[in-house]
Amino acid sequence: MSSQASSQQTRSSDRVADTDTRRANALAHLLLNGALLVLFGALFVQAGALPSSMWEPLGAGSFPRLVLAILMLINLGIMAQEWRHYRGAPSAAAGLVKRWLWRHRLALGVLALFALYIVGVPMLGFRLASLTFLILVQLALGVRRPRSLAIAAVIAVTFSFGIDWLFRDVFIISLPRGPFS
Amino acid sequence: MTEALFAGMDQLFTLSTMVTMLLGVVAGVIASAIPGFTITMAIVLTLPLTFTMEPLQGVATMLAVYVGGYSGGLISAALLGIPGTPSSVATTFDAFPMARSGQPGRALALGIWASFFGALVSAIILIIAAPPLAMIAVKLGAWEYFSLIVFAMTVVASLVGKSMLKGLMTGLLGLFIATVGADPMMGVARFTFDVDLLANGFPFLVVLIGIFAVSQLLQEVEDAEQTKHGKQLIPANVAFKPLDALRETLAHPVNLIRSSLVGVFIGAVPGAGGSIANLLAYDQAKRASKTPEKFGTGAPEGVIASESGNSATSGGGLIPMIALGIPGSAVDAVLMASLMVHGIGIGPRLILDHGDLVYGMFMAMLLAAFMVLVVCLFSMRFFLRVTDVPRSVIVPVVLVCCVVGAFALNNRVTDIYLLLGVGVFGYILSKLDYPLAPLVLGVILGPIAETNLRRALMTDENWTLFFTRPISLTLLILAVVSVAFAIRHRLRQRHATNPA
Repeated sequence: MSSQASSQQTRSSDRVADTDTRRANALAHLLLNGALLVLFGALFVQAGALPSSMWEPLGAGSFPRLVLAILMLINLGIMAQEWRHYRGAPSAAAGLVKRWLWRHRLALGVLALFALYIVGVPMLGFRLASLTFLILVQLALGVRRPRSLAIAAVIAVTFSFGIDWLFRDVFIISLPRGPFS
Repeated sequence: MTEALFAGMDQLFTLSTMVTMLLGVVAGVIASAIPGFTITMAIVLTLPLTFTMEPLQGVATMLAVYVGGYSGGLISAALLGIPGTPSSVATTFDAFPMARSGQPGRALALGIWASFFGALVSAIILIIAAPPLAMIAVKLGAWEYFSLIVFAMTVVASLVGKSMLKGLMTGLLGLFIATVGADPMMGVARFTFDVDLLANGFPFLVVLIGIFAVSQLLQEVEDAEQTKHGKQLIPANVAFKPLDALRETLAHPVNLIRSSLVGVFIGAVPGAGGSIANLLAYDQAKRASKTPEKFGTGAPEGVIASESGNSATSGGGLIPMIALGIPGSAVDAVLMASLMVHGIGIGPRLILDHGDLVYGMFMAMLLAAFMVLVVCLFSMRFFLRVTDVPRSVIVPVVLVCCVVGAFALNNRVTDIYLLLGVGVFGYILSKLDYPLAPLVLGVILGPIAETNLRRALMTDENWTLFFTRPISLTLLILAVVSVAFAIRHRLRQRHATNPA
């Protein structure tokens, strides 16, 4: 009985969440396609300035212009669709963005660490940057117990120093070295 | 012919050649199972190792990497939802949902058998029909190539995601991304804004890794609670029953043969290759299926179509290379280079002057297909252990592999910056339900589409030729039909869900 009640409760909260996100989703589509429309418009104008050739009827800018023109039409089509959804959906409850950010905190955290890692590879070198990244992400994703920590350390060393060795000595591809190598 | 065949077999069935082929198969399977480490990269890395070998041993080893690579792409596609290579994009549509629903062993076993039969069919067709098929493929002019790409793009856009408009948008976005950098005909810099990062354009492998791997991995850690409690990517049922999968694969003979034939033909079209073949084979299987609505949810027919389609391109790609000296793909171009290193001229006279070598290559394809089957069946339990690895390990490790793959491609740090940008953009698109496969396909096919459109109009300014040349017209009609079918299918679906 209690499980039935809890599943009903879940379904009802799902419905609320669904209604909430429908309007937010439509708004996100409108913003994305609006931004892309402006960008594609500017690029369309820029493509017109690309040089043409005396050897061929189409110049360097013709194909991109063709693609950009169709893209802009599609952007408008999607915006028209989403505008209807936006108008039709009730207003979202307060705190939706906060809740979304909290729900996606791990993904956003990993993304931030990944961005730092990418910036760090040329500065620290592949080995050190990878070692740090692997340890930090494993910790962020919940590795806590001593045994798991030991495994995490082995994985971090293998996939930083090990990969660097494999590529440098076996495939003869040198990964970024950094100042400490 | 018989003499040449026996001479080729004599050279092929030596211990040293068989050992290097086996190593090649293992290397190909492992390389393409790593997202971002493609068959092309594996073949390129193998090339220097073959310089000291006999010509047939060298080419046979590279063919082994090639055939192994087509099967290896299945592993990451099924277990991680990340296509190891562009040719396994369609495999993610059904193999991954099947694995996620608790049947990773079934998804892999079905893919292995379908790959094997695809490679087998293509090797047999290669042996029987290489010259006549090459003659058909060579008749395709710039008009037909352009129309073929239009057809491929409409198929993909109509195939994936919930909205065709969104599919078309991401496909066209891919075509546009491919125009950044040097123009393929005149070398003019386009949309680079004097920024170093954009000077070389967007290499399609970086886009592939960023779009599929980075955004997919970020989605994997979205559920904070599951991730923190060490939940695995795939439920722990790792039953691997190859004989059951063989029976299930053979229960779809029409799908298997049709998909393999699509693969062979697309492989024989220079520039097309496995990336189109797996999607077209999948599309054909979906259209022919009695239960098309099950596609995309873990349908075995989808796995069989995609894997047999992409593996069959390996034999198809050799057809124009052997008969005409035109490589069907980047991998075929490297194979060509390996023969040229040994002073062997590629072209129509190859089969006349070096019959033993050509028939040896045909037999090497067959042998490699059997080797891949054996290696995969024996090693798959090991690959299935991937499913035991918690997300906290697999996510950072694969992200590091992605960075290595993107960097090693051209030894450029700017490529890893692009990887981050593309990954974030892909994540945003996937959160808003935009299908990502058309974008990657657009980036791959963009330069081919543009070059052929411009070449066609350079040859003859009359654009109506796209509609008056029979093959081109047929392909364009097929493109319209695929759009019409998709619209009709979606209208029916909408009607079924909202009858009022």
